[in-house]
Amino acid sequence: MRSTLRRGRDLVFWGLCLLALAIVIVPSLAIIASLLQQSAPALNAHLLTATTASNGLQNAILGSGLLMVGILVVAGPVGIAGGIYLAEFASPTRGGILRLGYETLAGVPSIVIGFVGYIVLDQEFHWGFSLLAAILALSAIVLPYVVKTTEVALMQVPATLRDAAIALGLPRVTILRRALLPPAIPGIASGLVVALAIAVGETAPLLYTVGFTDQNPTLTLFQHPIGYLTYVVYLNATLPTQLEHEVAGAAGLVILAMILVLIGVGRLVGRRAVRYAAQLPT
Amino acid sequence: MLMESRGTPPDVASAAVGEGAVAIQDLSVRFGSTQVLKGISAQIARGKVTALIGPTGCGKTTLLRALNRLHDQRPGFHLDGSILLEGSNIYARGTDVRDLRRRMGMLFQRPNPFPQSIAENVSLGARIHGLWARGEVKARTEGLLRDVGLWEAVRDRLGGTPFMLSGGQQQLLCMARALAVEPEVLLLDEPTSSLDPHSTGRIEELVASFRGSKTVVFVTHNLQQAARCADEVLFMMAGEAIEQSPVRAFFDHPGDERSRAYLEGRTA
Amino acid sequence: MRFLGNARGAGGDAGPTVVPPRRRLADADLTGRDRAVRGALLAAALVPTLMLLFLAAEMIREAIPAFVYSGTNFFTGQIFTFGNLYITKETVHHGVLAPHGASYGALPFIFGTLASSLIALLIAVPAAVGAVLALTERVPAGLQSSLSIFLELLAGIPSVVYGFWGILVFGPLLAKHVFPILTELGSVIPIFRGGVGGGEGLLTASLILAVMIIPIIAATTRELIRTVPILAKEGALALGMTQYETAKVVTIPYVRRGILAAAILGWARALGETMAVLMISGNLLNGFPVNIYSPFSTLAATIVAMLDSALTDATGMAIHALAAIGVVLLVITVATNLIGRLVIRRVSGGAVLPVGRGI
Repeated sequence: MRSTLRRGRDLVFWGLCLLALAIVIVPSLAIIASLLQQSAPALNAHLLTATTASNGLQNAILGSGLLMVGILVVAGPVGIAGGIYLAEFASPTRGGILRLGYETLAGVPSIVIGFVGYIVLDQEFHWGFSLLAAILALSAIVLPYVVKTTEVALMQVPATLRDAAIALGLPRVTILRRALLPPAIPGIASGLVVALAIAVGETAPLLYTVGFTDQNPTLTLFQHPIGYLTYVVYLNATLPTQLEHEVAGAAGLVILAMILVLIGVGRLVGRRAVRYAAQLPT
Repeated sequence: MLMESRGTPPDVASAAVGEGAVAIQDLSVRFGSTQVLKGISAQIARGKVTALIGPTGCGKTTLLRALNRLHDQRPGFHLDGSILLEGSNIYARGTDVRDLRRRMGMLFQRPNPFPQSIAENVSLGARIHGLWARGEVKARTEGLLRDVGLWEAVRDRLGGTPFMLSGGQQQLLCMARALAVEPEVLLLDEPTSSLDPHSTGRIEELVASFRGSKTVVFVTHNLQQAARCADEVLFMMAGEAIEQSPVRAFFDHPGDERSRAYLEGRTA
Repeated sequence: MRFLGNARGAGGDAGPTVVPPRRRLADADLTGRDRAVRGALLAAALVPTLMLLFLAAEMIREAIPAFVYSGTNFFTGQIFTFGNLYITKETVHHGVLAPHGASYGALPFIFGTLASSLIALLIAVPAAVGAVLALTERVPAGLQSSLSIFLELLAGIPSVVYGFWGILVFGPLLAKHVFPILTELGSVIPIFRGGVGGGEGLLTASLILAVMIIPIIAATTRELIRTVPILAKEGALALGMTQYETAKVVTIPYVRRGILAAAILGWARALGETMAVLMISGNLLNGFPVNIYSPFSTLAATIVAMLDSALTDATGMAIHALAAIGVVLLVITVATNLIGRLVIRRVSGGAVLPVGRGI
């Protein structure tokens, strides 16, 4: 009697847990299905050859790509350098303050970053709709992530390797370059790639910093709007006609594909990070 | 200092073998509030092999690492007393820490080659410290690899990764790396604890070959190994130096009751 | 002779000195090149912190006139309007100039932000914890990693795509098939009472937010559950406990505070979420939602929705008002985040947990 009750409770509890798992799985499948279904009629080469002016995505894809390159150039070096400092040079006090700083920045809503970017860069600095302003705003969003992954990658380098290099009396820069960075590079690269995935899905920091245009992007940094994919989803989903929804769905599909590929590549590269430790004999 | 040692063998030969190369004077180390070493005094004889032995956790490795100033980075590290290398305190202000570490070569419990090519592993330190001229790098790398007995195994893959080597070969490579910077003192922290018997034998042969030319401090938990390799024994227990004696004397007639208990496997 | 780990502190024989913990090497062994490189790296490491301070300072500076103009009305008022931007008549309040009829009462947005994020949390925490328990304790190991992909997928879907799905598929679906049932339940559970509308509103947005923050909570919970000693679980099972009892007695108590921290971090994300909410909130401006299905707005969504028209305010006060909304949003999210990180630092003991936007 009592054991039946206990078995019953067990069943109910795990039934609820499996239901919760379904709550995770169903929406992701439903979202992908709805993107495919909405965009199906629009999925053809026209998307790549035409701009948003004629229901293509060429300018938006190029624009999103350009923004990613910009982030690689700005947030990449700054974030990696900052992470190296925190892992290898910072005193506990200073490291604690700087960590608090970047972790707090990571929690700042993206619209706040977009708003300040617009007010200061576009307006006060008279940059207008500006590629550079957009890159800086997106960099503020992904920097904490790049710093953190760099720091973690260096921390995970086996301590014995650091000891060996120190015991040999090598200068710190040499220790970094020859002993610590090589095994950390996969982890750092993985963080950078995932940072791109985060950035390419953002909208709020871009809306007012870079504006939007149907034209293909140029490398002009100032006074020149850029088209990008997330805006197409946002705008077209809220417009009334089926054709616009098709384009929105297609744009959503392209972003999602980019993000999943980037995350996948990031994971793949990241997996190499554990190799060094595995190679040392135990 | 650096200039004097360039290209010439360490000045062990000019000084008498057997005298103190390293003098440890009333050395205490604590990390935060944990006292690890308590007032250790000892003389490490020049050109001889001194084995550091004692039960697990007695502070052997802490003492060894203190000789290379490897604790400098540890939180709460605090050191009293002094360690003199050829008469000068290595913890004195203004010490060239990097040159000190060059003079104190070190081998670790597990092989830890750099993620660089095999040749780079050997030559990196020597080139950074300005010990080798550009033209002689190749020949001296080969020489060292021959010295440690690794040359035949790696001659065809000098540019390749060291991680394809066996654990024993990696440790020999680390030995070549340590020797390349011409240290006066070699600190060995249980270097054979992860190796097979053959590689262990090879390392022990090498240590024996250093007699008279290098000062060796050898941490081991293996009493047979200490008996085989060492000239002197420094027996430690609970952070204190209990006894320092010539190796035969230590094993045959330990001078302290605690040493005797340890050798007989009794708990002290 | 006395040496301190921190070389700068070396001070003769002045008795025991308190040594500040120092993880890295003393500076004694740095070469000139090391120092130069360290300087450059430090400059880079300062960037995120400087950005944070800059964002906060600019936001506050920009917001001050609106706070002065509104006084407490900003936090208690229910009417948010930029006033008449097309005539040149102006109003002066507390010595600050604004367009005629301007009123910046942000209470409905504060309410909307808190309500939607709390409802989302109420759904997301049990769902995330249940899913992780099912994943780690019940699902066969082979299936575990492939099912975990769905968590990463949810984390990777951009906010506009959630909005797209919400406005075109999920919202209409709820309005047609789910909300009518819920409103029937309203006779028993008062909160479900009321007309269901078209699917753009508080409950739809909350549900979408819940799905969006599940990955954050799940990822943290999963890392924590991995730290539960297998022996402890086996001990319970060996006593003849069922798996439910084991989870209840061992696993969940082990990670309880970690789940709290994960929930706070998820909450912070929900508070600041912009695009998805903007697209499916229905954008109610003045006043509170009449029931759980009805349109509403949040602090973040309002900034985006109204920035365009704010630019046409010649007095500039509309921008200040949006900045004031931004300051409130910033304070709420930063405070929530800090509390979450504080709790997490206590429970994880330095374990590496996800930072920021959940991937």
